[in-house]
Amino acid sequence: MESMPGQFMLGKLDDVARWAQSSSVWPLTMGLACCAIEMMSVTNSTYDIARFGSEVFRASPRQADLMIVSGRVAQKMAPIIKRLYDQMADPKWVISMGACASSGGVFDNYAIVQGVDTIVPVDVYVPGCPPTPDGLLYALNLIQAQIRQGGRGGIFAKA
Amino acid sequence: MSTNPGVIGGHAAPMLDVVEVKGNTMTLSMGPQHPSTHGVLQVVVEVSGEVVEKAEMEIGYLHTGIEKSAENLFWTQAGTVVERMDYLSPLGNAMCYVLAVEQLLGVSDRIPERAQAIRVMLCELTRVASHCVWLGTGGIDLGAISTFFYTFDLREDILDLIELSGGARMHPNYLRIGGLNGDIPDGFLGKLDGLIEKYPKRMHELRALLQNNPILRDRMIDVGIVSPEDAIAWGLTGPALRASGIAYDVRKAFPYSGYEKYEFDVPVREDGDAYARFLVRLEEMDEAMRIVRQVRAHLDTPGPIMIDDPKIAQPAKETIALSMEALIHHFKIVSESFRVPPGDVYQAIESPRGELGYYVVSNGNNRPYRVRTRPPSLYNLQTLKLLAPGNLIADLVVMIGSLDPVFGEVDR
Amino acid sequence: MPSSQTPSIAGLALDPTSVRSEIADAEILRIAPGDLRAKLEALRAEGFSMLLDIGGVDYLGREPRFDVVYHLLALPAKVASLAEVGTPRRIRLLVGVPESAPSLPSIQDMWPSANWAEREIFDLFGLTFEGHPQLTRIQMPHDWEGHPLRKDYPLRGPAREATPRPAFALKSNVPAGAPPSGKTAAALQKQIARARGQAPAPDGGADS
Repeated sequence: MESMPGQFMLGKLDDVARWAQSSSVWPLTMGLACCAIEMMSVTNSTYDIARFGSEVFRASPRQADLMIVSGRVAQKMAPIIKRLYDQMADPKWVISMGACASSGGVFDNYAIVQGVDTIVPVDVYVPGCPPTPDGLLYALNLIQAQIRQGGRGGIFAKA
Repeated sequence: MSTNPGVIGGHAAPMLDVVEVKGNTMTLSMGPQHPSTHGVLQVVVEVSGEVVEKAEMEIGYLHTGIEKSAENLFWTQAGTVVERMDYLSPLGNAMCYVLAVEQLLGVSDRIPERAQAIRVMLCELTRVASHCVWLGTGGIDLGAISTFFYTFDLREDILDLIELSGGARMHPNYLRIGGLNGDIPDGFLGKLDGLIEKYPKRMHELRALLQNNPILRDRMIDVGIVSPEDAIAWGLTGPALRASGIAYDVRKAFPYSGYEKYEFDVPVREDGDAYARFLVRLEEMDEAMRIVRQVRAHLDTPGPIMIDDPKIAQPAKETIALSMEALIHHFKIVSESFRVPPGDVYQAIESPRGELGYYVVSNGNNRPYRVRTRPPSLYNLQTLKLLAPGNLIADLVVMIGSLDPVFGEVDR
Repeated sequence: MPSSQTPSIAGLALDPTSVRSEIADAEILRIAPGDLRAKLEALRAEGFSMLLDIGGVDYLGREPRFDVVYHLLALPAKVASLAEVGTPRRIRLLVGVPESAPSLPSIQDMWPSANWAEREIFDLFGLTFEGHPQLTRIQMPHDWEGHPLRKDYPLRGPAREATPRPAFALKSNVPAGAPPSGKTAAALQKQIARARGQAPAPDGGADS
């Protein structure tokens, strides 16, 4: 975007849309296990995700942009996660937080889905068990970078 | 069920596609994704207006197969998966597990005193941290969002200490069979002193925010009253049982790890409602810090933090390059763990939720044969069947919060 | 690294509960399934007011195959101070359930807390409890086949039992069998040489 004399700014509408989207990524309140506690920690005053634009976590998937799958995905919970993902409006992003969501983690057994990317498409994986809140913030920054640099999103936002 | 590896199998429990309307009542599915159910709980409520006529709970949305995983890991490794059950007090889970295995090994009286003291201190700090989460999320459920920031700030200080000693904020695997994984580092005691100094003022702020707040009192007093007889019949333990008048605390009844040496009170109330449970937990936080201060006084004198037994405790890393025996012991313990004599034991500790018990069975192998968990949250949560009918949905939220369930433990 | 197969129990204690060591954690009693309700009534009359837990264990190879363990605690069922609670008695009732008759009477009318515990044992071990009002699966999805905590149920479930470990290796972007390029090793040698001061620092080369 260029700034011209006389208080004009020239730029692409798509860039403006991406700037707005990346500055207000609202996550869905979906905490599963231990990672959910670190996700709550990322909203506290020490780590403060709000300064990156994620001011509120929306409980309704219709109003959320980002699904942070935080925790181990049990067999019973898997269809619920798929349904929540389907209910979210486009454009939407998914962070797979933690080892369990990314690949099954320490639980290579009958009960845990070995990676939530077998159910929903994932944009950023965060390793850790659980990852520190810094890790989750970095993941959010990567999503923001993805949006600004031409990934999903923008003015013709489609899945 | 699909046989495609990695794909989910089976459907979940009653998935309501639409809200059902039957006569005057409506059946709604509250959860498993819900801001106020404290985790993955599905409460299928039949409501008439706002009043709950029937509440059926569906759990299992976090079933992890931890008990089965533990049967396939070495004794030294099983502590890591077991730690992930009650994820708000991971050191409590680890404590109960190592105490149980030490009983089976017959070495409970040979654990060094410094190790026991540090274990107690970390368990009590974990209790405060867990109650911080309860208080913060309980406040959010009621709409008092600022409490969350105060309590989680206190929790950050505690997590800093746990990270300093164990290496990780939440699941450090610091408590090992035989003692601890290394002594507390330099700087730990200074930080601990800082926390001890900061705590009374922070607690005072929290109480000032909440305790006499008329909205909180209105929403919590006389909500979810559990009588002592019902508490016993439903297997309720922990702060909820003590809020109904029965002073059962595992730390006093069956002291472990040196708790009998410390002076602390067990807060008890008789009202049995959510407000009583709230007050009991606040007082428990104070008592926990009281124990921490007493333990702190013992920590200035150095001492061993691991049992003096090369079959159980890995030799110090420095000795491995010098002694063949040390190298062999280290190798054996890491690659195939030690064997635990056959037998079964039930070990209980007082977790922030109640009596956490492990029934550990060994058949003489180097892996646990069975690690059955007695999860306090499972039994605490079940009382909701008793409490919910006849109350408002808003009260349901308060009741779940006051019972403080953790689903990693309920579902395992 | 844990083995993906449950180790064989040959040569190990077939019945660990018969080995009684000096652990003083609870009184222990083994009874037959038919005596369960009567014994529990008697214990309750004796003061064991709280049912702490019901757990199951699968001793594959032993007869009877399953053990269902009832943990009871003698607490006063009324308002009681620390002194009145004292050191409550604990008791552990072990009930051997054979595979040929995998059933026990339900005690959920005696203690409502037994409801979910019995459902869980049904779900994970396959033992039925007669008289239980709603004996359905509780942890696994409702149409799951098999009882996971049985010793003959594979750890990773029948669907994935034969998949190689670790499963995430299947998702790698390096095809299996690709030979190592050697670039990484060469770069590492350069890095070591630099650290030793034997080679000049690069100006942002591609493989530094």
